[in-house]
Amino acid sequence: MGFISMTNVQFDNFLINFGFGTKAEKQEILKANPEKHVIMDLTCYDPQDFYDEYPQLKGTFAALFCDEAKKIEVHCLKHEPEVIAKFKELGFTPVETTIVSCGFIFPRTIVQIINEAHFALEEEVASKEDINRAMKFGVNYPKGPFEWSEGKELYVKTLLFELLQKTGDKRYVASKLIK
Amino acid sequence: MNISKVIVIGAGTMGSGIAQWFTQVGCSVELTDNSPAQSEKALKDIHASWDKLAEKGKLSNVDELKKRLKVSALDHLSKDADLVVEAIIENLEIKKDLFKKLDAHFAPHTILSSNTSSFPIALMAEAVSDKRKPQFLGLHFFNPATIMKLVEVIKGKDSSEQLCRDLYAWFDSKDKKPALCKDSPGFIVNRVARNFYGEPLRIVEQEDEAKIKEVDHILKEVGGFKMGPFELMDLIGIDVNYSVTCSVWEAYGKEPRFAPHKLQKQMVDEKRFGRKAKRGFYKYD
Repeated sequence: MGFISMTNVQFDNFLINFGFGTKAEKQEILKANPEKHVIMDLTCYDPQDFYDEYPQLKGTFAALFCDEAKKIEVHCLKHEPEVIAKFKELGFTPVETTIVSCGFIFPRTIVQIINEAHFALEEEVASKEDINRAMKFGVNYPKGPFEWSEGKELYVKTLLFELLQKTGDKRYVASKLIK
Repeated sequence: MNISKVIVIGAGTMGSGIAQWFTQVGCSVELTDNSPAQSEKALKDIHASWDKLAEKGKLSNVDELKKRLKVSALDHLSKDADLVVEAIIENLEIKKDLFKKLDAHFAPHTILSSNTSSFPIALMAEAVSDKRKPQFLGLHFFNPATIMKLVEVIKGKDSSEQLCRDLYAWFDSKDKKPALCKDSPGFIVNRVARNFYGEPLRIVEQEDEAKIKEVDHILKEVGGFKMGPFELMDLIGIDVNYSVTCSVWEAYGKEPRFAPHKLQKQMVDEKRFGRKAKRGFYKYD
């Protein structure tokens, strides 16, 4: 699928898995580490599916749209101070959430904005530059939709597909320009 | 392109902001409203805003600005304006009726534009003569117009492409951030921004104060948005936001991507309109 390679960070009894692998790749990592407490990036999937199947999974996070501010959405089944401290040590600012949602909160919201921007481009409503500019200067978005999606189209498409599969709602059908 | 004389019709929040901005960038502006009292109130508020800026040392030419902005009666507008911006009530028939009169009143070179956020430019252009049609387009400003940089320059079916490009360049030269777009429902912002509200509503699914707070928190902290979607809906007005959502949804043939959420309707039915009603997703006592 062309996903970027994953990286594992191990400490104490924890393993933090970074990267945006396929579902099967993510499952392989969990199967290979039954004794560890795994914290895994599951930006493009529904964490609940993994929690239900893999008791070693103790937390999940979403780093897909992580930028220079290095803020990431983190969900832990119970408060894990060591994990939060480790993220900080690695240079991240973890922001904890209690909501388990396919695509988390920020990625799920942003992929829908990105998708709509692509539909608008597909219909030649405006150029990429003007759509970015409109969202930044009309409603103060920190970035334009195409700036968020640059180089991440495959993951955006994966998450939209996952949301479509989970909900059956056609609102998640991806624009054909997201490749 | 030379835009030196501008007429703004409608002295509500948008119209007065637009008039203030055009004056500040060097144009001579006439502001008018079907209610003379509203025009006078707007003028007084704009003067007060300039005086305040002058007190803070942010404005030095207040007297000159005051001379360049005047209030005119609707039937006594100068005929030689370069640009007319309509910012009246969002009612298609009233707007069409107005544009018909404006078309007959103004010089052939005058550009007629609408600040509408909801009606197709093509529908309003039906009211003007064929000669005027190339000089007719949408100019969608954002509130507050003196601060928000975006102007959507909307090319209608018959709008001159050159005119749109020239206006784009003119706004760009005046420190606005124009975006050129096609005449389609919601233009850019009101279309692309729909899911900033629609998706968080589906994440929380039902009223849950803790979840609502958390979603706002995450989108501000992680996403870098200045306001969370629920705070923003409360500020805009749940009724206003719901109405825009429904209008875009209808205009796109009930496309599921724009579908309103049941919670929006429920809150509108219960008159929980947000800040202005002191009750929305949050309580404002």
